[in-house]
Amino acid sequence: MKNEDMLMHVRGASRFVDDIPAPEGCLHAVLFTSPAARGRIRSLDVSKAVAAPGVAAVYTHKDVPGLNQVGHIIKDQPLLAVDSVEYIGQPIALVVAESQRAARRALKLISIDIEPLEAVFAPREAAAKGLIHGKRRERLTGDPAAAFARCKYVAQGRLASGPQEHFYFETQRALAVPGEHDTIKVHASAQSPGAFHHHLAEVLGIPMHKVELDIRRLGGGFGGKESTAVWITAPAMAAFLLKRPVKLALARNEDIATTGKRHAYEYDYKLGLDAEGNILAYEIDLYQHAGACADISPAVLGRSFLHVGGSYRIPNMRVSGVSCRTNIPPNNAFRGFGVPQGTFAIEAALSHAAELIGVTPEELKRKNLLRDGDTLPYGVRLDGVNAGRCWEALDKKTDLAARRAAAAAYNKAHAGHKKGLAVVPVCFGISFAQTALNQASSLVHIYVDGSVSVSTGAVEMGQGVNAKIRIVAARTLGIPVDRVRVDTTNTSRIPNASPTSASTGADLNGMATKHACERLRERLLEFAARHLSCDDPAGVSIRDGGVYVGEKGPVMTWEKLAAAAQWARVDLSEHAFYATPNLHYSMETEQGRPFAYYSYGASLTEVLLDCARGTYTVESVEVMQDVGESLSAEIDLGQIQGAVVQGMGWATMEQIRYAPDGRVLTAVNSYKIPDIKFVPERFGVTLLKDSSNPYAVCNSKAIGEPPLVHGLGAYLALVDALRSVRRDKPLPPLPVTPERAFMYLHCEEGKV
Amino acid sequence: MTSFILNNSPVSTDKSPGMTLLEFVRDVSCLSGTKEACREGECGACTVLVGSRRPDGAMSYKACASCLLPLGDADGCHVVTVEGLGGADLTLVQKLIVGHSASQCGFCTPGIVLSLTGFALGAARISYEGAVDALDGNICRCTGYAAIRNAARALCEGLAGMDAAPARRVGELISAGVVPDYFKDIPSRLSRLKTAPPQAAQNAVLVAGGTDLFVQKPEELMESELCFLSKRSDLDYVKEDGEVLRVGGATTIEDFRLSGPVRRHFPALERDFLLHSSAILRNKATLAGNVVNASPIGDATIILLALAARLVITAAGGKKREVPLDKFFLGYKKTDLACGEIVSEIVIPLLPAGARYRFEKVSNRATLDIAAVNSALRLVTSPEGTIADLRVSAGGVAAVPLLLALESFKGRKPDAAAAEALADAASDAARPIDDIRGSAAYKKLLLGQLVRAHFNAAAGEAA
Repeated sequence: MKNEDMLMHVRGASRFVDDIPAPEGCLHAVLFTSPAARGRIRSLDVSKAVAAPGVAAVYTHKDVPGLNQVGHIIKDQPLLAVDSVEYIGQPIALVVAESQRAARRALKLISIDIEPLEAVFAPREAAAKGLIHGKRRERLTGDPAAAFARCKYVAQGRLASGPQEHFYFETQRALAVPGEHDTIKVHASAQSPGAFHHHLAEVLGIPMHKVELDIRRLGGGFGGKESTAVWITAPAMAAFLLKRPVKLALARNEDIATTGKRHAYEYDYKLGLDAEGNILAYEIDLYQHAGACADISPAVLGRSFLHVGGSYRIPNMRVSGVSCRTNIPPNNAFRGFGVPQGTFAIEAALSHAAELIGVTPEELKRKNLLRDGDTLPYGVRLDGVNAGRCWEALDKKTDLAARRAAAAAYNKAHAGHKKGLAVVPVCFGISFAQTALNQASSLVHIYVDGSVSVSTGAVEMGQGVNAKIRIVAARTLGIPVDRVRVDTTNTSRIPNASPTSASTGADLNGMATKHACERLRERLLEFAARHLSCDDPAGVSIRDGGVYVGEKGPVMTWEKLAAAAQWARVDLSEHAFYATPNLHYSMETEQGRPFAYYSYGASLTEVLLDCARGTYTVESVEVMQDVGESLSAEIDLGQIQGAVVQGMGWATMEQIRYAPDGRVLTAVNSYKIPDIKFVPERFGVTLLKDSSNPYAVCNSKAIGEPPLVHGLGAYLALVDALRSVRRDKPLPPLPVTPERAFMYLHCEEGKV
Repeated sequence: MTSFILNNSPVSTDKSPGMTLLEFVRDVSCLSGTKEACREGECGACTVLVGSRRPDGAMSYKACASCLLPLGDADGCHVVTVEGLGGADLTLVQKLIVGHSASQCGFCTPGIVLSLTGFALGAARISYEGAVDALDGNICRCTGYAAIRNAARALCEGLAGMDAAPARRVGELISAGVVPDYFKDIPSRLSRLKTAPPQAAQNAVLVAGGTDLFVQKPEELMESELCFLSKRSDLDYVKEDGEVLRVGGATTIEDFRLSGPVRRHFPALERDFLLHSSAILRNKATLAGNVVNASPIGDATIILLALAARLVITAAGGKKREVPLDKFFLGYKKTDLACGEIVSEIVIPLLPAGARYRFEKVSNRATLDIAAVNSALRLVTSPEGTIADLRVSAGGVAAVPLLLALESFKGRKPDAAAAEALADAASDAARPIDDIRGSAAYKKLLLGQLVRAHFNAAAGEAA
């Protein structure tokens, strides 16, 4: 079962926001943003821009009809700056004109005078100055201090991981169309229907029932369209005030320069092991580079905090984390939501420890891998652990020891090139770590012609959630999938929906859809038994689009059943709600059960490093992933392949450079993401056999984010290769760009 | 007036010739299948096919980035967007992309459909490697490419045995369902199209490939009068002439790379120029344009410097002069090209007997990226095994593309000591700056490594 949108994608017929034919009189909005990283606005003059040809209006904070606030978790982010600015790229004014070209020309006529204030760009410096979002988090499990005293080996050091630009192909954009009675309809490329609906109503100062947010599909999201409502509320405000449709679409370089990224992190780690290589203690301090506003950063930090142990059994642990307030654009969600960063440190620390002990990282990792009965630092006792099964299945497929021996032999025989390899196990908690978000609803209509319409709060962004929901509906109702259509994500049909993120889209919305369809099925079976004068109602069933009595049938088509039921005044609509059961977590005690279940995987990555040039190729990647009972193997394979390559991009080539004044120097011509030639020719993905999962829809497991963590394999394999040449430097930061690899090998000052 | 055939319909428009084709198809023709995702030719979402009628009446189709393609350049051409493929049925390429689940969010998909279709129409030989080369400018953020490669592989299998020259392939491709039926009438329809004769206005901005110009100043070009070198078929050639290769000033990188004379005399260039840029840019960008652009890091310039190329410069009145390439660059982005002059020809001496040529490039991403440092080398050894001539160029390490002064190496043995001396000379000559492509320290050290690697490899081949 495929994502049916593909049939339109290949014809270019799928409509993204910019492809909706512009309504008559549509205006175009562009943002005037801060040129300074931090300062007080002394004066702002928009008069020349207002008078420019084609300009309909220029708005500042004074014009916001409702609340000038789009802060997502903490109300710390004005839509348009009031009297100070906190980062370069912060919106200050909104220019609305007859064309985007006219709006951009007018932008140049705005003048601003900003008194510069000292800005902070380094997370550790921000933390030292007390510039943090929310509270510092810390948890102590067992007695690390006592345990370190018993350790034979202690690997200790500093690490850093870099930011990552989402590079969704469709940049941030929305089209707002005013309606009667001060209502407004907004078409947006957005992952958070419920939250953005709320932000829109707040900014416009009208009740939510006057705002309709409609989302057909996204040209990629990856978390970047989950929390920051600026680019949706800004055009809506203009449309509301001007009573004309208004569109806003960021140019690519605006998007790169002013929107959030995956958070860079810095780490202090200390990992202790006994003589046999068992992990006894781990201390890890996280410094998250959050940016000027909290946005969703504290939540991302929280998820890192829960995943610092990776896939390993760690009896004694101290973890702390701070979300550092720096003067760069606020960072936000990115596929993995802090898990790749949290997992990175323990994976790198294990590479370090393996060197100290003189064993391979694989040996250490296998020995300490989570298993049934282990208790995680936040108090969850695990069962159904598939970490070992994924590892063994990978080993069977690849023969890890033989691959290690081959790499060692190659390295012995070659001075100019070095091979490196890494095995990465993945353990990824599934559910929103914020318990309240684990809810979804579904609205299912059966029409008299037998066609079925499903609406949920899930947002389609290429991940195939709509296809999975269709499968669930069709399977539950007993009809062919082509009778089911998934409608747009629309706040008038599905209110208060959680974001489509945390890999939960299909889990939550699929489960709500299943419940709705189950109720409809029961109602129809009951009707069918009556209608067919059946003695035994339990013997009636619907399958393959037909009604069966016992084994007899089909005695009636699904279409006839729907029509007859409607004529007999049976309700053919159902709304159902699902809230993941048994979830709880306390930030006071840092204990609880935040996740419904865990998604596991293991992968092998092999690289070849050219020592003279610092260049490298990823030669092969082999992934074993646990997806439970897959709803669609094709979709899940695609999700895994895409996530792994995205993770490898983060680990290797994707880097953002900032000028000393905080400007983002990187633009589309210098931000490089994996291309078709980067991806290894040997790239295998296998779904773990005989896995099931009682905690999610149809026994499946979430797939959107967990495989991204395999991308760490590229970093670790490169480190493996680099350290076969020299070990007199600390571990390099992630990503290992060709420049970093080169300098690691050739720069004697130890500077990287 | 610009006249062309857009998919199956004739178009005549008085829109500015400097408007990009992307803007025209989306905003004027209301064909929204062509997507805008970067506006700099970096992603391939806006890929379209541009077909031109050759003098022999056959069509030549090229996949191009429509975000950098001026409308005026399409004059007299057949422009194909995704809407121009497939009617009721999907084309073979579309079916394979669906069949292999090679599309997720779908934003890049139309571009991938066009690049693969362009490959089927234009590739001299159908091969999987060629199909991947054709896709090297189509970035996808969702799929991880595995499924796209599978679709490309299946396309090549589907087209196996189609060995007619591209120009004579259209009929077969129509039968195979790769392009719709109407393609067969395009040559005759184009021949009846009234097009504007090449303009030679005094103040017109010269546009060669436009692939950098339309990144730098698209708004200015909207308002400017333009003169398209692509219409100068007299400047589109690669020919052998005694001891030199002559390359016309309007020859595209891709035509140069795959031309018979280049493949005969400089076989390595076919591969080296794959690193220059993506297929959708190579199909438009010109060799001369890359030189005139004067980027201190331009791959073509660096290669041509080592090959001792010369430029033939023609003034507006037709007066010609010849300038050695290493004398052409006067400062950062400053050249010895006066107003009204064009580089009408590039002259590349064939390799002397006993000569080896090599190119090295290191960039953050191995393909489709600008180099941190690049370097080319031409080493000629005497029958006695000593260095008769040594030319080494280096990019990214100075304000201009650098040609190292290496007179002192003549007569030396090409041994390890010479390699070290050369690496030192290169590092000494390098004056890199910290920038987006890397730190100054990195570039200086890297150049030394590249030059040593070059020299050792070339000397090794000589031994």
